[in-house]
Amino acid sequence: MVFSSLTFLYFFLPLSLLFHYSSRNDLYRNIFLTIFSLVFYAWAEPMWIFLMVFTALANYGAGIYIERHAATKKAKAGMVAAVVLNLTLLVSFKYGGFIYDNINYWLPLPFSRPSNTLPVGISFYTFMVISYVVDIYRGEIKAQRNPLNFLMFISLFQHLVAGPIVRYSQIETQIQKRTVDWAKISDGVTRFCIGLFKKVAIANVAGVLVDKYFNTQLYEISSYEAWFGLVMFSIQLYFDFSGYSDMAIGLAKLFGFDFHENFRHPYAAVSVADFYRRWHISLGKFFRDYVYIPLGGNRKYHDRNIFVVWFLTGFWHGANWNFALWGTYFGILMVLEKHLKGVLDRVPRFFKHSYTLLLIVFSRALFYFTDFNQLGYFLRNLFYSKNAVSSGILSDLTAHSFWFLLVLLLCIPWDEIYGQNHAIRLKTERVYSYARPAVNALLLLLATMLLVNATFNPFLYTRF
Amino acid sequence: MDKKVNVLVFFSLVLGFPLLLLLLPKEKESKDEKRKLADFPMFTSESYLKGTWTKLIDDYIDDHFPYRERFIQTTPFFHAAKGFQLKNAERVVVVPKKKDPSPEKKEEKRDTLAFLDEFEENFSGSMLIIDGCVYPLGGGSPKMSKHFAKMVSEYAANFPNVRVFSAVAPLSSAFIPAAKYKHFNAQNKKTLWAIKENLSNGAIFSDIFEELNNHAATKLYFGTDHHWKPLGAYYAYVAFCKSAGLVPVPLEQMTKKVKYNFLGTMYQYTRDPSVLAHPDTMEYWEPKVETEAYNLGAYGTSKGSKAKVFYNTSSGGNTYSTFLGGDLPLMRIKTPIKNGKKVAVIKNSMGNAFAVYLISHYEEIWVVDLRYSKQNLSRIIQENSINDLVFAVGMYAAMSHGTIGMMRRLATQSGNYVAPIRQENPEDPISPILAPDNQGSDTLSPR
Repeated sequence: MVFSSLTFLYFFLPLSLLFHYSSRNDLYRNIFLTIFSLVFYAWAEPMWIFLMVFTALANYGAGIYIERHAATKKAKAGMVAAVVLNLTLLVSFKYGGFIYDNINYWLPLPFSRPSNTLPVGISFYTFMVISYVVDIYRGEIKAQRNPLNFLMFISLFQHLVAGPIVRYSQIETQIQKRTVDWAKISDGVTRFCIGLFKKVAIANVAGVLVDKYFNTQLYEISSYEAWFGLVMFSIQLYFDFSGYSDMAIGLAKLFGFDFHENFRHPYAAVSVADFYRRWHISLGKFFRDYVYIPLGGNRKYHDRNIFVVWFLTGFWHGANWNFALWGTYFGILMVLEKHLKGVLDRVPRFFKHSYTLLLIVFSRALFYFTDFNQLGYFLRNLFYSKNAVSSGILSDLTAHSFWFLLVLLLCIPWDEIYGQNHAIRLKTERVYSYARPAVNALLLLLATMLLVNATFNPFLYTRF
Repeated sequence: MDKKVNVLVFFSLVLGFPLLLLLLPKEKESKDEKRKLADFPMFTSESYLKGTWTKLIDDYIDDHFPYRERFIQTTPFFHAAKGFQLKNAERVVVVPKKKDPSPEKKEEKRDTLAFLDEFEENFSGSMLIIDGCVYPLGGGSPKMSKHFAKMVSEYAANFPNVRVFSAVAPLSSAFIPAAKYKHFNAQNKKTLWAIKENLSNGAIFSDIFEELNNHAATKLYFGTDHHWKPLGAYYAYVAFCKSAGLVPVPLEQMTKKVKYNFLGTMYQYTRDPSVLAHPDTMEYWEPKVETEAYNLGAYGTSKGSKAKVFYNTSSGGNTYSTFLGGDLPLMRIKTPIKNGKKVAVIKNSMGNAFAVYLISHYEEIWVVDLRYSKQNLSRIIQENSINDLVFAVGMYAAMSHGTIGMMRRLATQSGNYVAPIRQENPEDPISPILAPDNQGSDTLSPR
């Protein structure tokens, strides 16, 4: 199930809220929340729920074992065993087909290719349990003794499908007891409505344009069309993912949780490193704390550490070589930025912002095309194309002109610009407080309208 | 206070719509979409474990969401508000990929625009909108033409006493007015000529493209629908007459009628405001021939039900159903022209507007819908002494392995045919057709 579906919005969500708020007892609330989360997970792929529950129980046991043998070799062995188990499951289910293809290419294998579908959310919950056992080993958190609570932490529907990667330490106390009030629920409602709007009215609209420019004969595309398509894909990717994170954070608030921010206006970044401090923050922090720093961070083999982190980050996004290329591309950029820091610090902010955007938008091509032939056609036409420019671009630009303006406004970090100005902040908050209910209702209804319209499925022939 | 209001408004919306869904009466079908709406699925552990039950629940909620049609009708205003349209702007819209249908619906959905997805090489899934008219971007594939020509030639080989015609309609993309899309004209021509070059066993090619191209200055296709206009079908009929040695009846000798405000399938797909602003007017011509028409159904009945060649009351989104009442599986039309000539027209919906002109030339016209008829075409041909067999389909049908296979299967399928017993019912308008004979071979496969 996804948040941006009528089933979720108008059946799953109200039912889960009704059950949750039907009791003031935290135990019952946790039971309801766990049951609803499992139903949510099992909606599309009921079988994979067993894998998730197994992962949760295994790491629940590992956590207790590691804590019981704290500061001993047994703790380390327990932690290593749990991490290896988690990574083995991730690699098997997510990368099994990819590994098979690559080995089979050079050395034909005597068995057939694994044909499993990717278990939903496995990349996210695997990292959550890894951080859990490692943090216990490091003595940073206490192991959860209640298996129900631990299962709820792993399976919370708010973060299960597309993150953010929630650390146990962030919601440790909230798992036991949560406080909710009107202000928190209201913030959750607002955040959810904004996220839903970003997903349905911006990301999905951009997605249609992406399909139009990329899902075509790529050798016929002109440079203008190629760049336009890339910009559209950049918009789609940001608003899709950040919209989903907004909805997750908003939904968490509705049930009394506080998740950390996952995006902070990334397109306002002034360097590639800055961009990734603002983009998918929970993933960046995971790699920083569990890969980069253990490898030596910036103290030894700095360049190597950066490459390793980005190579892994690339592969985390998908089981294909283009993601490794994409990660390597960013590894190179990060290292270059590090070595050119002195020069870059002296150039105007506008230039830094521009080159960052250009490099980020270009990177979307490496991310989008999983087929290297297609990527080759596309890159050639991106930089040099004799193909005629379709007048459709002008038409698309004008037909989406107000929409582009809205996208631009939503990309600007207003809180960073005016957040320090207390007077402006107060005034804005006061004015907006009156409009908030109407604006949220409008966003929800608009998103509903677009979701309902997506169900429109006409037939060419009468088939009553 | 405003925070409470914010929460209460949100909760009333997310609780209100499901309550309305429970309380409001449910529609069974959608006229705009021309399909049945989803029923509430029965729960079985097997369907749940496969994930189909939850998928069907999603379909049910999607199809019966309160005020669904009103939401859908309002959406174009959102799209219009995203910016402003240039005058005479042309733009390309992408036909969204349909959600993967549930297994129960897959068979039903075979006949949708999914045909476009089967379009082997040249269809990108995009449509061009110019001045409120929608055109598919593509021109067919000569490679696929060979498969179609092979199938038609097989019929010619198996029925040496029957003249077999290929009468495939080009796509409207061949006649896009803007000069820069002229290459689609050449591509359509190339695709259709590839059929001609690959026909064998005496199969005859009706050069519909050339005839339509000679009149390309006139609008021959609807702008809001994927069919040709009756005028386009008329020129196709003229082309057929030339190849069949017939003299076409001039339009002036027919009765002209007009229907207005036709918003067809291309509007339903694109929901584009500029298309909405340019509804089609359908001028059509009825040959002055009295007819008796019968709908024999998919599997055949002993009698058949009365049908008509022209359904003059069809209107709105169903305006094109004026011809033969849409897509009946099998029709038999009798005329007072006693020349002993009988024709069977194998068609998809493009052939409907074409087949109606044939009533001026044949004593009997059999109209077989390649998708819905389950009756055995070989028997129809043999037992009714059919003289001419015409494959009058749109290019999509000629460019798809699926539909070519359907046309090939028509000759061999056994169907559930029930032969009429003339002696018991002398008034039976259907002439006797022999019951299936499992002894004899009626396959079309090359011998």
